[in-house]
Amino acid sequence: MESEAAIQVENLRYVYPGGYEALKGVNLAVKKGEFIAIMGENGSGKTTLIKHFNGVLKPTEGRVLIDGVDTRETPVSKLSRKVGIVFQNPDHQLFSETVWDEVAFPMKNFGFPEQVVKERTERFLKLMGLYSYRDKSPYLLSLGERKRLTIAAVLAYDPEIIVLDEPTAGQDYIQKEHISGTMNLLRTMQKTVVIVTHDMEFVVQYVDRIVLMSRGRIVASASPHEVLLNPSLLASAGLMPPQLARLALQLSRAGIYTPRRLPETGEIVDAVLKRWHR
Amino acid sequence: MSSPLQAFKYVPKDTFMDRLDPRSKFALSLSLLAASLASPQLTMQLVYLALATLLIAAAKRLAQWTPTLKAISPLVAAIFAANLIFTPGMPLTYATLMALRFFTVTTSFTLFFLTTTPDDLSLALEEMGVPREYTLMFTMSLRFVPTLADDVETVTAALLSRGFQLDRGNIIQRAKNYVYLLVPLIIYEVRRSLMIAEALEARAFGATKKPTRLYTLKMKKPDYLVLIASALIAVSPLAPAILNLSII
Amino acid sequence: MEGVNYTYPSSEEPVLRNIDLRIGRGEYILLAGPSGCGKSTLARILNGLIPNFYGGKLEGKILVDGKDPRKTPTYEMALTVGFVFQNPENQLFFSDVEREIAFGLENLGLPPHEIRRKVEDAIRKYGLENLRHRSPAELSGGQKQKVAIASVMVMEPKLLVLDEPTANLDPISAVKVLGLVKREVLERRISAIVIEHRVELVLPYVDRVVVMDRGRIVGDGEPYSVIQENSGLIGRPAIFDVYARLRAKGFPLHRWPRTPEQLAEDLKRILQG
Ligand SMILES: Nc1ncnc2c1ncn2[C@@H]1O[C@H](COP(=O)(O)OP(=O)(O)OP(=O)(O)O)[C@@H](O)[C@H]1O
Ligand SMILES: Nc1ncnc2c1ncn2[C@@H]1O[C@H](COP(=O)(O)OP(=O)(O)OP(=O)(O)O)[C@@H](O)[C@H]1O
Ligand SMILES: [Mg+2]
Ligand SMILES: [Mg+2]
Repeated sequence: MESEAAIQVENLRYVYPGGYEALKGVNLAVKKGEFIAIMGENGSGKTTLIKHFNGVLKPTEGRVLIDGVDTRETPVSKLSRKVGIVFQNPDHQLFSETVWDEVAFPMKNFGFPEQVVKERTERFLKLMGLYSYRDKSPYLLSLGERKRLTIAAVLAYDPEIIVLDEPTAGQDYIQKEHISGTMNLLRTMQKTVVIVTHDMEFVVQYVDRIVLMSRGRIVASASPHEVLLNPSLLASAGLMPPQLARLALQLSRAGIYTPRRLPETGEIVDAVLKRWHR
Repeated sequence: MSSPLQAFKYVPKDTFMDRLDPRSKFALSLSLLAASLASPQLTMQLVYLALATLLIAAAKRLAQWTPTLKAISPLVAAIFAANLIFTPGMPLTYATLMALRFFTVTTSFTLFFLTTTPDDLSLALEEMGVPREYTLMFTMSLRFVPTLADDVETVTAALLSRGFQLDRGNIIQRAKNYVYLLVPLIIYEVRRSLMIAEALEARAFGATKKPTRLYTLKMKKPDYLVLIASALIAVSPLAPAILNLSII
Repeated sequence: MEGVNYTYPSSEEPVLRNIDLRIGRGEYILLAGPSGCGKSTLARILNGLIPNFYGGKLEGKILVDGKDPRKTPTYEMALTVGFVFQNPENQLFFSDVEREIAFGLENLGLPPHEIRRKVEDAIRKYGLENLRHRSPAELSGGQKQKVAIASVMVMEPKLLVLDEPTANLDPISAVKVLGLVKREVLERRISAIVIEHRVELVLPYVDRVVVMDRGRIVGDGEPYSVIQENSGLIGRPAIFDVYARLRAKGFPLHRWPRTPEQLAEDLKRILQG
């Protein structure tokens, strides 16, 4: 059992130095290869929680185990090799003079051989559609590109667990499609992925499980279709169901269409047409 | 925010100190400070320190003040030791005096900041004729200190998360390591200041040379009492001399 | 705006090309388009930040409420055009909500009793009674943005421009903010332009959509058709898919859906007679 959990959070309390209690007893286990979303209203403690996953924040009480290792007893630089975190604001995490160096930077810190660094930097820049910018300063890229660059820098060093804080906030439709592609890739690579987001529409397609937070606590943890079809639960975490779920909910109240799993456009259209032809 | 900075963070409370006009509070703190600097007497220093502490207690801010006290204690110890070693004659008395004086000065300073909002402070400055450009700069620098502290924290977290070790290498190497921290910070803060400037423009900042104010400061009865008390405190270092004279 | 072109001082290529845009009173407009297409640039022209603050080369005809932003100081434009930015953090300066809201009026030199009256109005209208003396820096994201809007609206602008006001907000806070704007549009007949990437979030509120791409306006008009025609650039709400597929099968839906609930209503009415 224990060895199966990639991330194990036990009775985690966290109080910021100013005295604000941001986490009030959180329990969470993320299995290896699992893809989860953490969602919840502004200030509910999502970012605070994920900062515990590689030890940049240490529990005030309780503990966090990564692959069975206590984060209080391992340096951040070592934990980061296992847990790659892409923070919300790209401008807080661009350290290098060129786009190329930015992706190579973590690999160098982790002591990858030079040849491997070169190879992987090239591969991931191409993957993210940033290869043509390799000699530019990261700060000359657009917001969406800067965001993708920070994702590339983390994916390139191949951490087992990948954590993304609000990957789609402020991103346009086309960038979102790009990031969407990356999510599919992570799925096929069977990585353990934790994504923090407000974006219901975006998230439901990928995740195995949605964890809802509110005021420093986890208030629900269930499969997407269970969470999505429960509007009052979502509202308690500042969220709204995605459009299709809202539509399905109304239709099922009227007995027109009852979703068995996540509602799909085709299914809804068919159900309505069937009813109409009768 | 880290604990020593706690001293400057205003936490709203409704006490007699909070209700005072910032100008009379300023006078009070200033007179305590001046008196402490002027008085060469140990007993008087103790009186000032007790008074300042009492006022902080009256303002219900003791809990906030203790971290500051703890934070400055090593400094006070150093002052004490230095004076003990380097003062000819009566080193112990002098060293104690200097140490006490330092406590009193910081405490009276703290008294003011703990009970005055940055807004009130700049209001007081404006009332004294300082132009709004400067008072606003002051308000905003206090307002954005915690924000900047958060940025430092986030950038550090991100840097560590990329496997970087800030404390790696010898002293020179370590100093260089911090450059990695500074670059994103500086770029980000420059961007932020641009955004702030835009937002100020959008709120008609600079529209008239004579901006008006929602709140205007008004001295009330307690304020005048405090002002009189402050005057007394300010001249109190002379008291021992006067008393002595009259005994003779 | 007629035939507007603009080039930033630091670049050679124009970022806006031949922009024609006419905004009527009481309109609530979504301005959408890929990142870097020039939405924020266009917004800055409306309140004179461009060129007064940014410089650069601005050509064409621009009149906002009869004023040319180029010939009017930015602070005067602030009376006509209210501007709310993406990051509320950087537009709140004081440690007291009341003072925050009063700031713009103070800058205009209004007498204190008038400031007081307007601030009270704004506080009541935006439901800020309980936050009156809180420090804006310590409020939640949604509350901050509400204070930011209140402190701009108190200056009674005729046009409100919101540049991604909800990008960092949870959906419920976001919808509340957009709803506040809608109320101002309806009650005071002001015009509003909101820039936002999540079309489905804004859709219930706006009556017109303008789409930009690479410095040009490529779509402008009634939301449904403009979004359908430009879905490759800005995406489209899932309910539009359902609607379009049903219509293609001859299903008699007669108005396009703003919300899933509205679509469900229409379907129910047709299916259940
Ligand atoms: N450095 C800090 N010092 C003190 N309090 C903090 C700090 N960082 C965050 N907080 C507080 O902790 C709470 C949780 O913050 P956190 O950033 O984890 O929320 P979040 O769920 O990520 O919100 P959002 O959706 O807005 O990103 C908030 O009330 C916040 O104000
Ligand atoms: N201050 C500036 N100086 C020079 N170029 C700029 C400046 N601000 C923006 N640009 C450039 O102008 C173009 C349009 O930028 P703008 O910010 O208007 O885009 P946007 O549509 O608002 O994008 P986003 O959705 O990312 O906010 C971009 O190519 C950008 O790089
Ligand atoms: Mg967060
Ligand atoms: Mg923009």
